[in-house]
Amino acid sequence: MAFHEIKLTVNGGLEQVRIPSNMTLLRMLRESLALTGTKNGCSAGECGACTVLLNGEPVNSCMVLAVECDGAEVVTVEGLAGDQQLDPVQEAIIHSGGVQCGFCTPGVLISSRALLDRNPDPSEEEISEALVGNLCRCTGYIRIIEGVKEAARIQTARS
Amino acid sequence: MKSIGQSLPRVDARDKVTGAALYSGDLSMPGMLHMKTLFAGRPHARVVSMDTSAAEALPGVALVLTAKDVPVNEYGLQRKDQPALCGPAALTPGPSPKEPPKNGGGRERGVAGDIVRCEGDLVAAVVAETEAIAAQARGLIRVEYEDLPAVFDPVEAMQPGAPLLHPEFGDTNVCVLDKIRKGDVEAAFARADVIVEGEYRTPFQEHAYLQPEAGIAYLDEEGRIAVQCAGQWTHADRDGIAHALGLANEQVRVIYPAIGGAFGGREDLSVQIVLALAAMRLKRPVKIVWSRQESIVGHCKRHPMTLKTKWGATKDGKLLAAETTIIADGGAYLYTSNKVLGNCTITATGPYFIPNVKEDVYGVYTNNVPSAAFRGFGAPQALFMAESQMNKLAEKLGMDPVAFRHLNALRDGDTLNVGTPAPGPVSIVQCIEAARDRFHWDERRRTKDGGIRPSSFVRGRGFAAGFKNVGFSFGYQENSWARVEIHGKTGIEQVVVWHAGAEVGQGTHTVLAQFAAETVGVPFEKVTMVTSDSATMGNPGSASASRLTFMAGNAVKGAAEAALAKWKAGERPAIAEYTYLAPKTTPFDKETGHAMPNLSYAYVAQAVELELDLETGFIKILRVVSADDVGQAINPALVEGQIEGGVVQAAGYAITENFISKNGRILTDQLSTYLIPTVLDIPDAVESVIVEVAEPNGPYGARGLGELPLLPLAPAITAAIHDATGVWFDDFPLTPERVLRGLGKI
Repeated sequence: MAFHEIKLTVNGGLEQVRIPSNMTLLRMLRESLALTGTKNGCSAGECGACTVLLNGEPVNSCMVLAVECDGAEVVTVEGLAGDQQLDPVQEAIIHSGGVQCGFCTPGVLISSRALLDRNPDPSEEEISEALVGNLCRCTGYIRIIEGVKEAARIQTARS
Repeated sequence: MKSIGQSLPRVDARDKVTGAALYSGDLSMPGMLHMKTLFAGRPHARVVSMDTSAAEALPGVALVLTAKDVPVNEYGLQRKDQPALCGPAALTPGPSPKEPPKNGGGRERGVAGDIVRCEGDLVAAVVAETEAIAAQARGLIRVEYEDLPAVFDPVEAMQPGAPLLHPEFGDTNVCVLDKIRKGDVEAAFARADVIVEGEYRTPFQEHAYLQPEAGIAYLDEEGRIAVQCAGQWTHADRDGIAHALGLANEQVRVIYPAIGGAFGGREDLSVQIVLALAAMRLKRPVKIVWSRQESIVGHCKRHPMTLKTKWGATKDGKLLAAETTIIADGGAYLYTSNKVLGNCTITATGPYFIPNVKEDVYGVYTNNVPSAAFRGFGAPQALFMAESQMNKLAEKLGMDPVAFRHLNALRDGDTLNVGTPAPGPVSIVQCIEAARDRFHWDERRRTKDGGIRPSSFVRGRGFAAGFKNVGFSFGYQENSWARVEIHGKTGIEQVVVWHAGAEVGQGTHTVLAQFAAETVGVPFEKVTMVTSDSATMGNPGSASASRLTFMAGNAVKGAAEAALAKWKAGERPAIAEYTYLAPKTTPFDKETGHAMPNLSYAYVAQAVELELDLETGFIKILRVVSADDVGQAINPALVEGQIEGGVVQAAGYAITENFISKNGRILTDQLSTYLIPTVLDIPDAVESVIVEVAEPNGPYGARGLGELPLLPLAPAITAAIHDATGVWFDDFPLTPERVLRGLGKI
């Protein structure tokens, strides 16, 4: 197995990691960088629990090879909150009741963040479209959608 | 100050949104090894021989476990009928006089450890320095099987001469038989004005919790085998592991970190025994994480059932009689089939008064994946039948289906099919009225059309109701332990609640903190929860059967009252432990089913409007109104979250989740083939109506909730399809293909 040295930015910090060719971004985050907030629900790009931002775009990190991320900028759920304040999507999903078991939550939050970055005032249809790759078995999604709407309001009020 | 009835934020929410919450697959320890398990991958076989030498010789492999390594090679929550590992030279346990006397009585000999009875039986576990090495070594294990005749259809499995799965329990595959004999059904049918007969089929359902099975086992500071995993009952997991390892219960410790959903699927053991055994042997931490496919193959499902029934009523709409035979596929091992089918038996007459009832409910061993607990616990299947019968009877009588239900709904003092009344206030009438009124059923008001639809789109509405016992019961002494500490000097500064109940996502830790705050009389923020460790806490009972708010709430309330009394007497800190014992219940009479099987019930009614495309068979649910009597909503936001989540899970059960098992092999072993609802599959609107008819034995009047919203949706959907098309669907899931076939389009 060939190994590679890659450099990338994760949650704002520069990381240098030695990884085997076949390692996914998900495994690198969880195993090499101990960022276990990003979850593995299927390893097949079906559930969205492993969603992270890769250069600003939401991706299933189980479907991306780590070696592809040399020079990239990655944001995980651990990177959403500032020092003092939760991200509006985090604050809103707590308030709306969109968290139950919480295993899908990191991926849901990242997809929501990506949506609000490109569309600060999304419609309900746009929210659903943005979250279609994130499976949730607990909430029925209703309070997650409410949370994203509320996050848009908080974000607007903060800016 | 008041906490009960407030939508307070979850105590675990902040950790879950920041990624700080640790699930069992997130844990790691110094010196940790990794485990992979090997499934048999065949439905019925004798393991003739195993060669693990190549696997053991692979550099980095620490241990290969096979059947001969398991000290007491059997487990099972209700009946120890499953080997932890199947293989030759298994240490077969002897007769067990402690087996529950029900269902065939005690067994004559131990479970045969060399027999594989389903695809998901484990035959080996490999422990290595890395996951990759463990996986490679697993591939080097050679197993020689002698395939045995297998049986996959429970009706065939009941016939004489069918391949026998468990000869140790007698000469039949029937593992459960519950009977109801109330009144005289023959005489009642003779005077009935209308009779409806039906045969219904309900499918498997996969739990598909987002977190696949995972765990880490190690020796703790006191030399105990500690297992951190996801589960639903710390102490039952501990006892099951200890039994298989030949240890005293106290030598094993089970801790639950955050749990990624359960829904009944974690009630029985999966990876825990082999994981604990490896840690015991190696004296090093060992971790396992199952893949999604391993999770789907390796854990139980909801029972598929065939339900044949005949109901009779008078021409003015009074129910007279119901005669029912239900055959449930129990799969290869009992798990909780006896309990599931007990609930099925009770709910098979729906929440209605029927004076004459005859039921025979069979659970049958087959070489399929084991069936066991799943939210609703046998009631969704029974209610699909009962509520479909109600809708068909209403049609035949020319009555409104809601009015027909209202007329026959159980009232206080009415006997259930078990011959005794449901304890506590019976509130099905209130639920029916609440759902009817919120839906504006009597006004036949339609949801506003969103625009021009193709002419192939038709709309319909349907109604169904349900009820469900709170707790396992059937003679089992329901109990739950709690400890409450009150800290401070002059004033109360902190309240600490110790409770081992499983937080599977439903919010139980938050609710228990609310009970403590209310009882002690402090703000919610002053309560700290210490949770889910079998070594430091008493038995909480399981997070299942809609029981935890009721049982654990009473436990925390009792402990808090006792601690508060000590506080008032000047004790600092004031600490009290309390074990709540619920009112006693009785098991079914073997011949008549006569019993007082449960201490409490909860009730639900739902109304649905949907749109169906006659060209594609695609169903879109427009609106669901769910009226659920929770007794007292401890946290209304959490209640609504349970209702919405339950409704969507029920919609998946009814429409999209098409679990396929062929010759004992699961074909839908991924989330791309087993389709749980996505955000685009949910109803346009789910309206929760919280009904609160207080339960006198419940803590602050609470009943149970978790299962209610899943119960009546499927029959409400088929009623709505009938309303739209005139066609009854007596089976589901209502995939486009099934719908089109039912409509005669293909």
